[in-house]
Amino acid sequence: MSPNFRPVAVVATSLTPVHESFEGPEAALVMTCVNELLETTGLRREEIGFTIAGSCDYLGGTPFSFVMNLEGVGAWPPVYESHLEMDGAWALFEAWLRLQCGDVDTALVVGSGRASAGRTREVFALQTDPYTMAPLGADPVSLAGLQARALLDSGKATEADFAASAARALPGTSAAALLKADYWCDPLRAHDIAAPGDGAAALILVAGDRVRELPGTPVWITGMDHRIESHHLGLRDLTASPSTELAAKGAGAHDGPIDVAELMVVHSPEETILRAALGLDETTSVNPSGGPLAGNPVMATGLARVVEVARRIAAGEARRGLAHASSGPCLQQNLVAVLEGDR
Amino acid sequence: MPQSGTGLPPMRTTLEYPYTRTTGPVMGGFLTGVRDGLLLGGRIGERVLCPPLEYDPDTGMPADLDPVEVGPGGAVSSWTWVREPTEAHPFQHPFAFALVVPDGATSGFLHAVDAGSPERMSTGMRVTARFREQRSGTVTDFWFVPEEDGVRPAPPVEGGDPVTLTELPISLTYVEPYHPHRVRFLNGLLEGVITGQRSPVTGKVHVPGRGYDHLERTLMTEEHDVAVADRGTVSSFTEITPVRYHGQKETEPYIRASILLDGSDSPITGVDIRTIPLSEFRVGLRLQAVWKPAAERDIGAFDNRSTGGWEGVIERWEPTGEPDADTRALEEHAF
Amino acid sequence: MARPCAVVGIGQTDYRRRLEVSLEGLVRWAALEALSDAGLTFADIDAIVIGKAPDLLEGVMMPELSLADALGAVGKPIHRVHTAGSVGAATAISGVTMVESGRYDRVLVVCYEKQSEGNATWALSGGKSGGQGAGGTFAPWIRSYIRRSGAPEHIGWQVAVKDRKNALRNPHAHLRIPDISVEKVKQSPMLWEPLHFLESCPSSDGAAAVVLASEDLARKGPAEPAWVIAHAKRSEYASFPGRDPVRPRAGVECAEALYRRAGVTDPLRQIDCAELYVPFSWYEPMWLEGHLLAAPGEGWKLTDSGATELGGSFPVNPSGGVLSSNPIGASGLVRCLEAARQVRGTAGEHQVEGAKVALGHAYGGAAQYFAMWLVSSELQPGFG
Repeated sequence: MSPNFRPVAVVATSLTPVHESFEGPEAALVMTCVNELLETTGLRREEIGFTIAGSCDYLGGTPFSFVMNLEGVGAWPPVYESHLEMDGAWALFEAWLRLQCGDVDTALVVGSGRASAGRTREVFALQTDPYTMAPLGADPVSLAGLQARALLDSGKATEADFAASAARALPGTSAAALLKADYWCDPLRAHDIAAPGDGAAALILVAGDRVRELPGTPVWITGMDHRIESHHLGLRDLTASPSTELAAKGAGAHDGPIDVAELMVVHSPEETILRAALGLDETTSVNPSGGPLAGNPVMATGLARVVEVARRIAAGEARRGLAHASSGPCLQQNLVAVLEGDR
Repeated sequence: MPQSGTGLPPMRTTLEYPYTRTTGPVMGGFLTGVRDGLLLGGRIGERVLCPPLEYDPDTGMPADLDPVEVGPGGAVSSWTWVREPTEAHPFQHPFAFALVVPDGATSGFLHAVDAGSPERMSTGMRVTARFREQRSGTVTDFWFVPEEDGVRPAPPVEGGDPVTLTELPISLTYVEPYHPHRVRFLNGLLEGVITGQRSPVTGKVHVPGRGYDHLERTLMTEEHDVAVADRGTVSSFTEITPVRYHGQKETEPYIRASILLDGSDSPITGVDIRTIPLSEFRVGLRLQAVWKPAAERDIGAFDNRSTGGWEGVIERWEPTGEPDADTRALEEHAF
Repeated sequence: MARPCAVVGIGQTDYRRRLEVSLEGLVRWAALEALSDAGLTFADIDAIVIGKAPDLLEGVMMPELSLADALGAVGKPIHRVHTAGSVGAATAISGVTMVESGRYDRVLVVCYEKQSEGNATWALSGGKSGGQGAGGTFAPWIRSYIRRSGAPEHIGWQVAVKDRKNALRNPHAHLRIPDISVEKVKQSPMLWEPLHFLESCPSSDGAAAVVLASEDLARKGPAEPAWVIAHAKRSEYASFPGRDPVRPRAGVECAEALYRRAGVTDPLRQIDCAELYVPFSWYEPMWLEGHLLAAPGEGWKLTDSGATELGGSFPVNPSGGVLSSNPIGASGLVRCLEAARQVRGTAGEHQVEGAKVALGHAYGGAAQYFAMWLVSSELQPGFG
């Protein structure tokens, strides 16, 4: 990475509640976020130089669902805009790179999804190899079960660790109580699996002198990277996440202490794997928001991690933090962003 | 499950399609083996991968299939017990998904193990492939069982040409409530009223409403609903010559029109016209809706997004006999 | 600040139905050819970007996951762009941004569609009966254009013939109709008044790839680089009262931004040729006007004069264009890489003699998403 990166800051964030089933259109979720961001920053829609969103057609079963979402994103007068068929965290990555180019100073980043309409286990099975896995209906929960078993067999974690991770996300429970529940996809229990929900996350990124002209406390993104691993589970060590390690290194995660980390733990065993890959110890507060197990707005879940970290830093609760997002079965693809408070 | 507390049942959509996948030589070689009752791996350097790949997974560089027969026995390297199978799973009773390392292969292969109960599953256990009697060359032509259930040779099948194509039928059902503004719009149609929404900022009337004015970035609610006329002007149309595809029911050409209803600022679109000849149809033509009897009105073809489905509630559109409207004024409604 | 970026490798498959390859085989064909053209292997690539149209076309969701190994992406970043029909060009621009940002030195961009796995009209209608197809959406706007501009009806036929004649010079092209003629186009069935069957694009399979590199590495490459001297994207809503879908404002502003960035003041004269996204014949004059290459009402005259033929003063779609090959998600990247082939002088039989600056363009959705790039044989062509 070039050492001369242009400083880029998150200046405003917005999250909708995570709905079990949102009755309105996804575009309305997005519009709510974008309007809040404009109000917070005092920016007019046409002042934003670059816009990028992440969402997924298959989630709601509609081709070109992002075209409808554009009505919430805002595109009149015409905007310089793009869309990734990925979690909004990857949209943030492209926006962050785009601001490095120097000619654009402000970016709007959105992630949104309405997962409630479909049966996500069947929908997400279509992510897997179309010849050998998708015909088996290989769903992400079952594959997470394989990963959890591998973790238990390796001695790197116990079922009590899974329960402890889930208990932190679910107030009013204890790990001991959770361990009494029946298995659902052994060795996973229902509470080990984040329930898919409907929601949106959005933020505004600003570079250069514009940062100081806007209200609020900027939170700087000092590094970002993402990497992918083999899709073939037999070729991977399911108990480790080398792609997360590489992304963390690329994002400069180890250049200082990490006060807070928001990890995209969609299945509780993933926390053990991610903590190890990121080298986090007890000095880091992990998923103070509860993480995805407490709220999983599919396609916005990763971007929401960035928002949660930025908010804690802006509030002065932490100085430096890490946000993680993931995509694909068994943590196949991982993104890391490092955020820091105002200098 | 999504609930609709407003009198309309939730909307159901099924996305169903039989995808046909061409396999290429390497996956085709593997699936040909499966059809013929054996498991083939592919040797790449020191490794034997099953299923084989057409490239070296470390470098992405090409690798021809150097086939090696592996299995039918193997060892489980990880597993999970699926208590509630989905409709897409190979079994509708509880089973295990497992990574199975077939004998002679160097890495695991994801597949199903039909073991009856989780107590019979363990890491390291021996399993063996069970082949169906009827096989077409897909990965679901076989599964695994605990080896103690007996090793059985694959039932012979008529040999045939190498497999080059494999089918993947998908069927996904989506169930969601109609959006609130949509419920009001649809209930209106059942009563013979077309409902739009008037923007509180611009005063323009959108039909149907979207629950927001995207131009002004304002959410809209019931208080913005307005009834518009069931007569208007053709602002745009297309003659559709139906192409054939899976699920297509149309065979004869017909007109799809956009109609700017009186009192509105955006046309309704996707209106089927089947009773006015193309030669008489034109932009500017004035039309009046002829509603179906209330008991026959069906809103089933309307979903949360598309604007088609009018034919379920409106029998036909009849020319009013009024002079045509100014076509230039309709230019901006050519959607 | 943004650093220069060049196309250093180009690969593409043939665009007929590809029944002999897997999805992996299809994308790898283009990727390996682009790498070989650049004198590289996957090991030399820092990041990968893929693009395609809706996942429903092949029934593979988020294909960057299942294609990661096949594209040599393991251990690297890979992301996936989806901006409707403009996606091929939008993906190219996403890759350019990665290099311009200073973060990545070599980026592999791959776009594809394997329409033979499924059915596009089914997918685009969300699995419902009565899908009107893209032509059904565009036909009223085409009629509106004809009404406004007073263009004679033969313009559409003429574009259809020109692009199919060009395709005969392009070995990758899907449709090859040696006896194509205005008469034949007119006689073909009417699909969506005024569009005949032969004025519409085919359903194709195919993949396209480019390797993008920073200035240093581009200068070291074995082949001539095509410098990306400008790129632009603009989007607008699909429908609202007051929208002009015939000459969408997003298309006009996209072109303005592109030319401004490149320092182009007289695009028709300063740009040597263009690969425009023309899936239906009439979109050639419509985009000539909609992207400021001709004044309103003048685009069809340019077409009528023969200026847009190979050998004319401003050849449009010398490759045969989308009318001859439409692997949907790749079609925009094909426009962009064909523009690059022109300025590298490697376009073979459909080379525009002396081309120095070329435009690659794509649009999508309800003519609401626009993405374009300008490539040149020189890093700073200097428009006099």
